[in-house]
Amino acid sequence: MPSALEARDIRVIREGRTLVDGASLVVSYGEKVAIAGPSGSGKSTFLRAMATLIPIDSGHVLLDGVDAIALPPTRFRTRIAYLPQAPPMLPGTVADNVAAGPALRGETLAPERQIELLRAVGLDEAFLTRGANELSGGERQRVALARALANEPKVLLLDEPTAALDPETALQVIELVRSMATAGRGVVMVTHIAAHAEALSGRRYVFQAGKLVAVAEGP
Amino acid sequence: MSYLEIPLPRLVVTLGLVALAILASRWKRLDLERDLAWGALRGAVQLLAIGHVLLLLFKHERPEWVALAISGMLGVAAATSARRVEHGPSARTLFPYALLAIVLGSVVALAPVFIFVVPLHPMYEARYLVPISGMMIASAMNVVAQVFERIFAAAHAHAGEIEQLLALGATPEQALARHVRASVRAAMIPTINSLLTVGLVALPGMMTGQIVSGTAPEQAVRYQIVILYQLVAVAAVSGVLAGEFGRRLLFTPHAQLRLPKRAPASDMRA
Ligand SMILES: Nc1ncnc2c1ncn2[C@@H]1O[C@H](COP(=O)(O)OP(=O)(O)OP(=O)(O)O)[C@@H](O)[C@H]1O
Ligand SMILES: [Mg+2]
Repeated sequence: MPSALEARDIRVIREGRTLVDGASLVVSYGEKVAIAGPSGSGKSTFLRAMATLIPIDSGHVLLDGVDAIALPPTRFRTRIAYLPQAPPMLPGTVADNVAAGPALRGETLAPERQIELLRAVGLDEAFLTRGANELSGGERQRVALARALANEPKVLLLDEPTAALDPETALQVIELVRSMATAGRGVVMVTHIAAHAEALSGRRYVFQAGKLVAVAEGP
Repeated sequence: MSYLEIPLPRLVVTLGLVALAILASRWKRLDLERDLAWGALRGAVQLLAIGHVLLLLFKHERPEWVALAISGMLGVAAATSARRVEHGPSARTLFPYALLAIVLGSVVALAPVFIFVVPLHPMYEARYLVPISGMMIASAMNVVAQVFERIFAAAHAHAGEIEQLLALGATPEQALARHVRASVRAAMIPTINSLLTVGLVALPGMMTGQIVSGTAPEQAVRYQIVILYQLVAVAAVSGVLAGEFGRRLLFTPHAQLRLPKRAPASDMRA
């Protein structure tokens, strides 16, 4: 499988503390990776570094083998979907949120496509006109996922997408994430819930002492 | 000129007004006694000193002295608007940006007026140049300070949203647009409000001064209109520039949000 996104020897130092200490990870198209690890171990920091959202002190992020430094940030970031731990909603309705990515490029997202995206994350079209900031935590998580998918990204970087969900909904979201990989996208999911890491049924890593340590091979 | 002179002993009498404020502070435990006393003293000393400086400037009117006076005003204004910006970079980092925003705003407002509206002979005629520049610079200072204050606070409060927009492919301009707009608007509104209420609530200081010292009211009014329009230009130019500079300071060259470290309160050791 060709490598979609690669983090090579990433080091992040903040206020004299080494938060990520030479972590490397390769994700290919169609592949799922779960990252576990104790709270405060640096999982989110590593994921944000992979999304090029924070400066790194050394190392490289490569998209299709090309260093992210050499790509315009907007190009890189529309290829990569990054969902933070508690994705903030943008002002406006759910529709405004779902269409936000294309709108930034001056494109309008067709209403049919908005509905399609909402359905894909398990919401229906009645949500389109709702105020995004009135939604529950789980609904926000799904709208954020739909919003990220509107850019038609090649790789998904998901930070604890199931943490705010009840067990049943969580498994639905994981199923959805798995289907994204089946559709040819690379997926990296951070989760501290072992059952969710397992349910993703891909490669598994633990974040330890600033590095990624392989746990077990998926099928 | 026909105006009533204030002899020094009578000036001292007005200290009673400050004493009154100090008494009120003590009575209601506002804990402002020291600030009031210090402020009253400092304000008086500064103004008396400036009175003498102006006297010298008017008497000798050398271009380099006038330039020096205006540079001093600009320096103090820039340092003031760069100081103690909560959630912002250090005063040292902000100073050059503040200075540039204030200088450009002031020049845009002053140059056309002194060339076409109130042509000065010579160009460095201190009696007009110094006080009118002072008004523009002071206004620019307030606008720049407000824009900085708001823009860094907004970036801090909405970091998650800004980063989410970046992650969706927004440019830094797009990611911060909402907050830049709000900051610049808020900084311009007092100037616009003063346009709307001028004459209805209070007569502006310069106009009052001119009338008291014997200028025909209709000419004083014309001066005031010029000043008001200049202040609008200052607010717009300095405000927009401060917003632009603030945004640049908030992102790395790779379009990453870079929130300044919390600056210690005593940041003016610079
Ligand atoms: N900009 C920063 N400056 C200083 N310290 C930081 C910064 N960002 C993160 N940290 C610290 O780095 C450590 C790792 O944080 P991170 O959010 O990556 O952990 P995590 O593994 O995702 O934890 P959790 O499971 O609780 O989400 C924490 O101790 C955090 O306080
Ligand atoms: Mg985390």
